[in-house]
Amino acid sequence: MPFVAHFLIGKFLLAMTAQIAETLFYKGEQLSMCTTPLDDYFAFGGEHPKFESNCTALWRGYVGTWEIIGGRLYLVGLEGTLESGDDASLASVFPDFPDRVFGHWYSGTIRIPQGKLLEYVHMGYGSTYERDLFLEIEKGAVTSTRLRQNGINESEEAPEGYGIGGMTVFHRTPKNGEDDT
Amino acid sequence: MIYLYWYLGVGVCIVLPFVVRSRILKKDDLPTANDLLEALQPERKSLWYRLRSNVLAPLLTGLLVVPFWPFVVYLKVQDMVLGKHEASNLEEPKFAVVRADLLERVSIAEIEQCERVFDPLSAVPDLPFGHLNTAWRKFLEDMTPDAEMWTFSAHWTDWGSKELRRGYVMVRGNVIGPYFLTTRKDVDEGDVAQVGTLRTGIPGWLQRHAD
Repeated sequence: MPFVAHFLIGKFLLAMTAQIAETLFYKGEQLSMCTTPLDDYFAFGGEHPKFESNCTALWRGYVGTWEIIGGRLYLVGLEGTLESGDDASLASVFPDFPDRVFGHWYSGTIRIPQGKLLEYVHMGYGSTYERDLFLEIEKGAVTSTRLRQNGINESEEAPEGYGIGGMTVFHRTPKNGEDDT
Repeated sequence: MIYLYWYLGVGVCIVLPFVVRSRILKKDDLPTANDLLEALQPERKSLWYRLRSNVLAPLLTGLLVVPFWPFVVYLKVQDMVLGKHEASNLEEPKFAVVRADLLERVSIAEIEQCERVFDPLSAVPDLPFGHLNTAWRKFLEDMTPDAEMWTFSAHWTDWGSKELRRGYVMVRGNVIGPYFLTTRKDVDEGDVAQVGTLRTGIPGWLQRHAD
């Protein structure tokens, strides 16, 4: 039973909320990025501090800020909370590079949803928007870009830009009997 | 009539251990599991929900099971026989490099020369594998004089998402040892069909986007 509970919670329930996007600065614009390149860094054996997940919309426990400079992908900021209770920053993962880190480990496609919401899916990055801008990355360098039109939402009330519909925030466990404020 | 009492009595004797066992297991359950379930479904905290789930449901189930106890015994025996096999099927498949994935033998010097990372903004250490140099050096600790280093390229289905995985792997004779991953990216169905070494898995977009 504990195994089944762990399996279900680990692999299904955790994904039952739309996830907060990463931030990307690209061509002078601040965009929402539905790809998490830092996951690959951790998967490849990079230093992985334990982040505290304090809501169902951010199971990874951090939000990275990225920037494309000269056709290359850089991690320029990191926000979150470590399990120790300290604030996470870029230096928590890359102590020698606290300001900017070249994302050379990442090869894959970065998805940037744009326009109005077409279909909301309360899971992962499953929602569909009018357009998707894809950046193809090879070892941290942008090799190509393409724009996919997914449809048009003619409703004026339709939300514009990436967003999440709701989340559950976990109450943080007070340490040493102190009250959590 | 006495036979019916005996029949139902046996049913009660069979149900009781199940009830006791389930109560014990519930106490041993992961506390985080309950916390998460309550967070996702706040109505679980209500008195009515707890009454339904902890008292009414077990009571009604027990009453239903008593007249059909031979079926419960059958299910339990089946569970004991097949249980281990089914549990192993639930385990997440683990990626491993197979012989068909090997590409070419390379030396460590060649790898370290090839994997040096340059950045005009100096946002990476001038070392093989850049920010992953520590992980690379740790990987090399397992290298023995009799081991060979090979490049590999494999396809892996991770939670239903088909991925291309590349990297370096240690090979000792016929044994394929630990690997060092350098690429992990989603691929189209067509690309996968051409290469072939497909393995089963579970939907990856869930893990990738919500882990």
